[in-house]
Amino acid sequence: MSDLPLHLAAPVPVPEKTREIDRSGEPVFELRSISHSYGRNKVIFDVSMAVWPGEVVGLVGDNGAGKSTLLKIFAGYQQPTGGTLRFMGKDVRFATPAKARAMGIEAVYQDLAIVDQLSLWRNFFLGKEITRPLGPFQLLSRRRMREEAEKAIAELGLTRVRSADEPVSTLSGGERQSVAITRAMHFGARLLLLDEPTAALSVRETRNVLASIGRARDHGLGVLYIDHNMSHVLPVADRIVLLELGRVVRVIDRGEVTVEELQDLIARRTHV
Amino acid sequence: MRRRSLAESLLSVRELPPALGLLVVVLFFTAQTANFWSPQTMTAITTVASTIAIVSVGVTMLMISGEFDLSVGQNFAFTPIIWAILFVSNGVNEWLALAVALLLAACVGVVNGLVTTIFGIPSFITTLGMFFVLQGLNNLLISGHQLIMFDPSLAMSMLGAKVGDTPFYTPLLWMFVIATIFWFVLTRLRYGNWTYATGGKVGPAKAMGVPTGKVKRINFIVSAVFAGLAGCMQFAYIRGVTQGQGQNYELLAITAAVLGGTSLFGGTGTIWGSVIGAFLLATIQIGLVLIGVPGSFYVTFIGIMLVIVVIANVRLGRFGSNQA
Repeated sequence: MSDLPLHLAAPVPVPEKTREIDRSGEPVFELRSISHSYGRNKVIFDVSMAVWPGEVVGLVGDNGAGKSTLLKIFAGYQQPTGGTLRFMGKDVRFATPAKARAMGIEAVYQDLAIVDQLSLWRNFFLGKEITRPLGPFQLLSRRRMREEAEKAIAELGLTRVRSADEPVSTLSGGERQSVAITRAMHFGARLLLLDEPTAALSVRETRNVLASIGRARDHGLGVLYIDHNMSHVLPVADRIVLLELGRVVRVIDRGEVTVEELQDLIARRTHV
Repeated sequence: MRRRSLAESLLSVRELPPALGLLVVVLFFTAQTANFWSPQTMTAITTVASTIAIVSVGVTMLMISGEFDLSVGQNFAFTPIIWAILFVSNGVNEWLALAVALLLAACVGVVNGLVTTIFGIPSFITTLGMFFVLQGLNNLLISGHQLIMFDPSLAMSMLGAKVGDTPFYTPLLWMFVIATIFWFVLTRLRYGNWTYATGGKVGPAKAMGVPTGKVKRINFIVSAVFAGLAGCMQFAYIRGVTQGQGQNYELLAITAAVLGGTSLFGGTGTIWGSVIGAFLLATIQIGLVLIGVPGSFYVTFIGIMLVIVVIANVRLGRFGSNQA
């Protein structure tokens, strides 16, 4: 064990009890036999997976396993060359990422979430400003947006944030992620896509972001958590989908394996 | 959550440092010269300041959304030249001529915006190209001559006449109107939020549904039209225009914006900061003449001050924030 990197050797906190997830209904999002090629280069082979409401699914794989392609398919940036996508029980096809967003699929990218120069409330409502018409113009309802942003962030528990007027540049990387996640929840997202949200974060920061993810899940959102390292997703994932060379090689249900078995799996697959 | 303290609120007012700078400069010249507050000096300072400020307001909108416009100085001559050729030389109705001239100025902005956003090249290059195009056109249109209008028309009086018994001219009033409108647009309208977001970080802005390309294209037009309009005011005030009018104005407008706290990288800046910056430039220009410094030394002084202010801004950048 001593040869392992620290984050693999350290004990991973996995909750004792398995949360019950109701998978009898329709999943939020489902991939059915999805395949994808870039020209002649096939990168995704017959992938089927689903995310149910209130569930955190970890999508884990090495670089080149096809994670980013799947993420792009989820977010509407890529249209799969084969298979079907189902959103809330209906077949869908997203022509653009904006269409996916409009349906409630929110991608929270680490450096694509927040505009540093804007204050917290302006960030929170960016692109979805509350306005009242002023002739042909849209007048910002500033007080209302301030109050709503403050309320949502207070519920999130970012205690360090004192006011919605605070510039976002004073927030840490983890807090920005948390703001982005809260914003997605506030605007009624159904599915949250997170791409390595804890990369380059301190331990305490990571815990805060994971807490935000937990809150989103408790709100009934489906969460797809993508990471190259299984130990990152382990603390929150209800299921882990292992991806290798464009194929799903294993789906690990938290109820199915013990902490020790998971640790073994990580140890054996140090490259994932 | 608590509201910010008074000190924090003051720190976050971006107009405060340039305003203090202006105050220091004004006090200095008041102490050094006997006639700083004379009507003549006031006329000189406010007319120089108001045209630079109007150009700078448009340039500031564009800079906040993350782009430059180096063609405003040439547009400052191009638009009044078109206006004057149409109505002074060819007897077209003055208002129609003004509308056509401003429409052409807008077309310059449209081309700047489309070329920059479609081909994804730096606006520095696009508008530098436009600078030369307009310079050539201006030369072609009046080839070294001066277009003079001895008898100011109604439109000209509205744009550049004396205001009653005051030492001030109408461009100063227009400047306040235009600055107030764009202050409102930037801080109170959704479009202002989008302008800040576009220049702040284009990726998240786009991801949040802000039409960043469109925002930039609109601001290119704003920058071009107000440069043209300010040029027309200058023509109306001087009652003449040469192709040399507005020389260096692209750089002065950017300098005024930067002195006023606008970032060269987009995402931050205020309208009133740029107005104060323009007054700072004009006060120094006129004040140096008053204390007997050779007029040409003014630009040297401005150059040194610009660099010092930017160094100070970078150093202090981690304090003070953006607009609320």
